Amino acid sequence: MAKVLFFGATADIAGTRQVDRPAVDTDCLLAELIEEFPHLASQRLLVSVNQEYASSTIPLEDEDEVAIFTAVSGG
Amino acid sequence: MNFAELTTEPIEITNVARRVVPPECGATVTLDGYVRQFTKGRETLYLIYEAYDEMAIKEMRKLIEAAADKFEISSVGIVHRTGRLEIGETSVAISVAAPHRKAAFQACDWLITELKRTVPIWKKEVYANGEEWVGGDGSR
Repeated sequence: MAKVLFFGATADIAGTRQVDRPAVDTDCLLAELIEEFPHLASQRLLVSVNQEYASSTIPLEDEDEVAIFTAVSGG
Repeated sequence: MNFAELTTEPIEITNVARRVVPPECGATVTLDGYVRQFTKGRETLYLIYEAYDEMAIKEMRKLIEAAADKFEISSVGIVHRTGRLEIGETSVAISVAAPHRKAAFQACDWLITELKRTVPIWKKEVYANGEEWVGGDGSR
């Protein structure tokens, strides 16, 4: 299983900060999460795997840490 | 001498600035980013900042390394606060020490621009009649 983290707007949409999901690849994972939390589809989403930005789909392994979030707005 | 930190405590700007001073430097430029009361005609009651802590620190450290490559600077300190911030409170401090001030100014400006673009921290604006997470381009 991969650990999936949500922050800010995505945490509000998912109603949680963390879920565990089967580790296949990030595209599949995203598709599954959007099916489960349809409002995620209304956001432009960013993905990170093990704390590195993922710009295209990445194969996942068990224990990987994936984060799904909207555009950052720090500063 | 470089540091990148998150804190939930109020940021003391002079402490951040004083921590980066090495002997070969002649100037420290510090950005004090604080909570604004009015944005696009709306009045903010307060802000909430949330961070992906570990990744935020990593990304800030990457920025410091990149800035050291790009500009002739000696040291950089970045402190970003999370949690609830009131109007006027400092959300981010970036201090850059360099032998010459021009590089320090340029690096500091570059660092805040890049921080806002890449560091996984999110700001929620709370107004009298609603609240919303700010989009990366400032959209709400």
